[in-house]
Amino acid sequence: MVEDNMQKVINLASEIFNEEVKAWKEAGGRVIGYSCVMTPPELIQAAGFLPYRIRALGNVKTEKADSYLSRFNCSFCRSCLELGLDGTYDFLDGLVETNGCDHLRGMFENWQYAKKTEYFHYLKVPHVINENSLDYFEEEIRLFKESLEAYSGKKVDAESLARAAGEQEAVRERVRKIYSLRERELPAFSGFEATALVLVSSAISPQRFLELADQIITEREGGKIAYRGTRLMLCGAATDELELVKAIESLDGVIVTDSLCYGTRAYARIIDPQAMLSKPERTLAEAYLLDLLCPRMYEDYARRRDYVLKAVERSNVDGVIVMHNKFCDVHGVDNVQLRMDLERRGIPVLQLEKEYGSIADVGRIKTRVQAFLERIGVIESGGRL
Amino acid sequence: MVNLAQRTLNRGLFERVFSLMELVERIPDDLSDEEVEGITALLPTDVAQTVTAFLEPRVRRAGIFFLKMIARWMREAVEAKSSGKKVIFVPFNFVPELIHAFKSAVPLTSEVLSSLGAAAVKGKGHVYWDFAMGLGIPDHLCSSSTIELGSMLSGTDMTADAIISSAAGACDANAKIHEFAANYLGIPQFVLEKPVDDTSKGIEQYEKNFLRLTESLERFTGEALSEEGLQEVASNINRASEIYYEIWEMKKLVPCPVPNLFSFFMYGCRFTMWGRKESVDFFELMAKEVKEGIAKGKFKQIPEKVRCGWLYTGYYIDYAGLFSWMQDKGYSYLWDILDLFFPEPISIESRESILSGICESSRRFPMTRQMGAESMSAAWLEDAAHIARELSADCAIFCGHHACKQTWSVISMVSRELQRISGIPTLNLQGDAWLSRVTPISVIQSEIDSFVRNVIRNKGERRKIRRRKGWRTTQYPTLATGLEDERE
Repeated sequence: MVEDNMQKVINLASEIFNEEVKAWKEAGGRVIGYSCVMTPPELIQAAGFLPYRIRALGNVKTEKADSYLSRFNCSFCRSCLELGLDGTYDFLDGLVETNGCDHLRGMFENWQYAKKTEYFHYLKVPHVINENSLDYFEEEIRLFKESLEAYSGKKVDAESLARAAGEQEAVRERVRKIYSLRERELPAFSGFEATALVLVSSAISPQRFLELADQIITEREGGKIAYRGTRLMLCGAATDELELVKAIESLDGVIVTDSLCYGTRAYARIIDPQAMLSKPERTLAEAYLLDLLCPRMYEDYARRRDYVLKAVERSNVDGVIVMHNKFCDVHGVDNVQLRMDLERRGIPVLQLEKEYGSIADVGRIKTRVQAFLERIGVIESGGRL
Repeated sequence: MVNLAQRTLNRGLFERVFSLMELVERIPDDLSDEEVEGITALLPTDVAQTVTAFLEPRVRRAGIFFLKMIARWMREAVEAKSSGKKVIFVPFNFVPELIHAFKSAVPLTSEVLSSLGAAAVKGKGHVYWDFAMGLGIPDHLCSSSTIELGSMLSGTDMTADAIISSAAGACDANAKIHEFAANYLGIPQFVLEKPVDDTSKGIEQYEKNFLRLTESLERFTGEALSEEGLQEVASNINRASEIYYEIWEMKKLVPCPVPNLFSFFMYGCRFTMWGRKESVDFFELMAKEVKEGIAKGKFKQIPEKVRCGWLYTGYYIDYAGLFSWMQDKGYSYLWDILDLFFPEPISIESRESILSGICESSRRFPMTRQMGAESMSAAWLEDAAHIARELSADCAIFCGHHACKQTWSVISMVSRELQRISGIPTLNLQGDAWLSRVTPISVIQSEIDSFVRNVIRNKGERRKIRRRKGWRTTQYPTLATGLEDERE
């Protein structure tokens, strides 16, 4: 029964227009797509829409997108744009752009140029944290809320916002729980399963996710997955590629934790729903800016490094894999600093540059991971390749 | 780190460029053709190409002035180090005049140093890029900043006392390498963020960010900016700005009387000595040279075949191979994006008014204005279409630099819309503006030539149609109409 639930999650995670979203649409619901972890889904939900985090799920076809973006743009953004242009994302009624990185900005501009959505909003997020930027972001949150209200035709009141915030916090709390079970000495989840759960958490309604997550947590809490070998941590760029995680874990390593934006970085923040009743915009601004662990933020590297170091210690990690998609500057540079800082502390690191979703790249990545595992010295000789 | 550096590098980029500049300081303000020939014969090929471009008769007086001005700019940094002043590294899209207003600090622009290295030192600065790659820095970063910063990271070069980053919000590649260098070297970094917001809220936020940065610099240097110091800088800016527009007006003439290389000189000065008396003198000299050229009809010696607007930057791997070559072919280099700093008069009424004026210049800086805008494509296109019309451009050229993810992400929209709005086609090039090993200048030349020959010069020419004997339109039914057309 439990495996059925987990399999259901894997199925939901493997499809963009999944059956839950289909049911939502069939019932007359509208869906708003967003891409960055600095977008508060609470607001979208409180306005009556289903918040859906855009993903590409390893899509390798980028023919249409390449006539807009270029081969010097990251293949994750090209893949997402392709799915926008080829109709896969036609179920989205609206889009929320954020200035996550140069590629993402270009992706949204082209998306809007080639195929306009009914609703579009640009949420501008500061790159530094200080009192001024916090005030600015608070105003941005207010504008976002007003724009959603205009589109939905109804006011987002404090109660509905508190309710939505409560549900979204419950989603984050479940994901944190899943991670704690994953990080323990005998992990209850593989990296593949945990990634699938994380992906689903932002692709279906919170209520439905909570039902599924609760059942799975109950079943897994007392169990453990069959694994042997090395405990790994995965850090870096947008990684929604389930197959890649599976490929790495096929090499006698298990990914017990991560610092990914489709991973823990999206769930680290804690929001008190009651605060929505008094100062909702400020609360959301603080939560989504102050707790934003993304290399697009400046004057903040030390916090990102410390976050990784704590996770390494907490999860008893043997080695860290830091990845970035080719042409991703923010992760590409941060990963160099991170590698240096981790190695200085005696933590083995594999720094990988890859093409997003490239099947052709998987063999190369497996070879490098295998060599890394051997370097760590934990893997037994004769391990599977 | 230092051991690796010592094995691969002997001297830093700054030091090597400066030793060349020390020679430049000694040459007279004007040279004969024979003297130029003598100088270039003594130089390594890499260096000679730049010197040839800067000292050719069309631009010689301005070229010598420019080189001496850069020499002085570098010397001030050297002297600052020995006299206890702060050397502050700034990116090209930061207003150096703010640092010039300090008595206790001098600015050095990393991209200008990379450009000098790529043009004037043997090996074109590749070794510093390679050093950065050796640290693991991704090869898709921007060579314009990474060459100089690579030199500094190697430990063989002058180290800045602080780094300013003003690309946060406009360019990830630039902002990240500056952040990395500051962290790696353990020196303070000051970030000036450009909100991607063109509303009054965004402008107000930028002003707050700018004032916050100014206060941080005052604390760092231990010096409060004086009204007198700011007034001096602002007065120089106002005078140089007037001449900037005078030159801009002359660019509108057909054929264009402003030499191609003046485009580079203008922003080369903007990025280094803006706000200083030297910038006024330099702009005055350039304006005088152009007027003299007009009076003597010098610019008509080579007929202008095509007027080109460079939508983005130029290539800085070979000045003779790009700017002079285009001039000799009759291809006018009207502008590139870095020329578009459109200075506005600064009120010298008070310290606040001056800082506000400098802040506004910074917000409207080339690339910051376009790539830091709410819509990159809209802001870029608006500028390009306006200037193309104003300067009567026949075509646009996009210097595709692989590190510029933001421009590559919207160039298809911009070129498509530019064609629609202004009726001019765009040539998309691919290369690295500072690394000659990526695309050699000969390839760039060949692509520009083909573009001009096949797209521009035939534009508007009446196609003469003749029917080839024996052809029937039914022979190739699907292509019938097209195949009947044949140019004589």
